[in-house]
Formats: sequence, C-alpha cells, structure tokens
Amino acid sequence: MNRFWKWTSGIFGVLLVAAFAGLSYMAGSPKDAYGMVRYALPHMHRGTLKVGSDAPDARIVALDGVSRFHIRERTGNRPLVLIFGSFT
Amino acid sequence: MYVREAHPTDEWQMKSNLKDKDDVCYAQPKTLEQRLAIANDFTKRFKFPLPFGIDDMSNAANDAYAAWPERLYIIDESGHIAYRGGMGPFNYNPAEVREWLAARYGAVKHEAPKTPAEAAPAATKSADFGAAAPTPAAPSTPAPAATPAPVPASKESRPPTVREEL
Repeated sequence: MNRFWKWTSGIFGVLLVAAFAGLSYMAGSPKDAYGMVRYALPHMHRGTLKVGSDAPDARIVALDGVSRFHIRERTGNRPLVLIFGSFT
Repeated sequence: MYVREAHPTDEWQMKSNLKDKDDVCYAQPKTLEQRLAIANDFTKRFKFPLPFGIDDMSNAANDAYAAWPERLYIIDESGHIAYRGGMGPFNYNPAEVREWLAARYGAVKHEAPKTPAEAAPAATKSADFGAAAPTPAAPSTPAPAATPAPVPASKESRPPTVREEL
C-alpha cells in the first residue's frame, strides 16, 4: 500500500469515528446512534407536500376498528388539523 | 392520527419509555389489531379528548403526508395544505398551529390543559374520528395538540386572511 492510500484510509477512518461519535452525542449514546441509523433514518422523509398543495386522501380506521373513513371526508366546512404521532 | 410506532421495544426504544418511567413498552405492531390496541390504550390512559384515527397497515396516510414520527398539518376548507409542520420531534411545533388558528379565528378563549389529568373532564366528549362530526382539530400524539405560547409564524404557513370567532 503506497503512502497515498495509507493517508486516505486513515482520514476516512477518523472521519467515520468522528461521525459516529457526533451522532452518539446527538442521540444520547452509541446504542441510540445505532437505533437512529438502523430504524429511524429509513422512515424519515421530508415529503413533497407544500403549502397550497392538494391535501392527499387516505383511508383511516376509527378506534372501534370497524368504521373506516377518508381524511378528505372531514374537510370542507372548517380547517382540519391533522396531528400525526404514535404512543412511543 | 396514529401512525407506526417511533420507539417500539423491538426497534429503537427510548429509556424514557421503560416500565420504571413512562411505561410505554410496545413492539412495532404487525397487525391492525395491534395498532388498535395501542391506540385505545393511549386514548384511555390520557383520556384523549380529540377525534382519533388510525393509519392502516398500508401506511397510506403516513406515506402521503410524510408523517412519521410526528408531524402537524392544517387542511383548509378548499382541501389544500394551509400549514405544514416540520418533522418531529425537533421541528414539531403545536404552537405554530395554535398561532395559525388564533390568527384565523381570533384569540383562544381558554388555555389548553397542561396535564392529561386536567383534560379529564373533556374525555366524555372523546370520539372516534370516524364517528365524530367534523371538528377543527383531529387526532393524536402524546404531545399536546395546542400549547399556549406565542411562537413566530412558520415559514411554511400561509397567513390567514379571515378572522372569525370559533
């Protein structure tokens, strides 16, 4: 391995360690950094909707597990606030 | 609107969710029945007073709105996005929604409950999204729907023009 590749791989390794350390600090721990990369990043999307876009429709299940409705059924009379989230 | 779990036990579980703390320990639901069970536990535990809906296992709402892990939107009467909140948790800002609504309808006449216990009296009005009459506020998340605190306007919000009383 010539000198160039030694330096290149060394710098790359240092950057990798620094990135993981920074992510661990941001997430709280190395385990959380792994969780973020493994489970969160694949599901995080900025999306394409913008203010003024047509609101997409989707079929939603009610708490009783039986009733179904569409988001757009609930619009028209007044503004509709959508709050997306989960329990955990 | 309930979407897939953010910190289930079989993925990236948070320490704050452990049994000796918030005790919110669920695996990522694999079936609609499991989502329903978690959603019902949430609404009962917090006596959640707002209409509530659940994204089905196709994750259609989540995909359409880039909702995960948490996000806020306002759809106006014409069916267009009037406000698009940032991706949670860092850019999840209920105060911006509150500000939008206040600018549209006037000052809020009462403070939002600060704790789930304070919201308890309103629990009798809780309803499924599917069964309830349209209301200005829709479903869920552990975070409060409206936080009483003025906040600068969102860059992504369109200034309302009509003022009317709620």
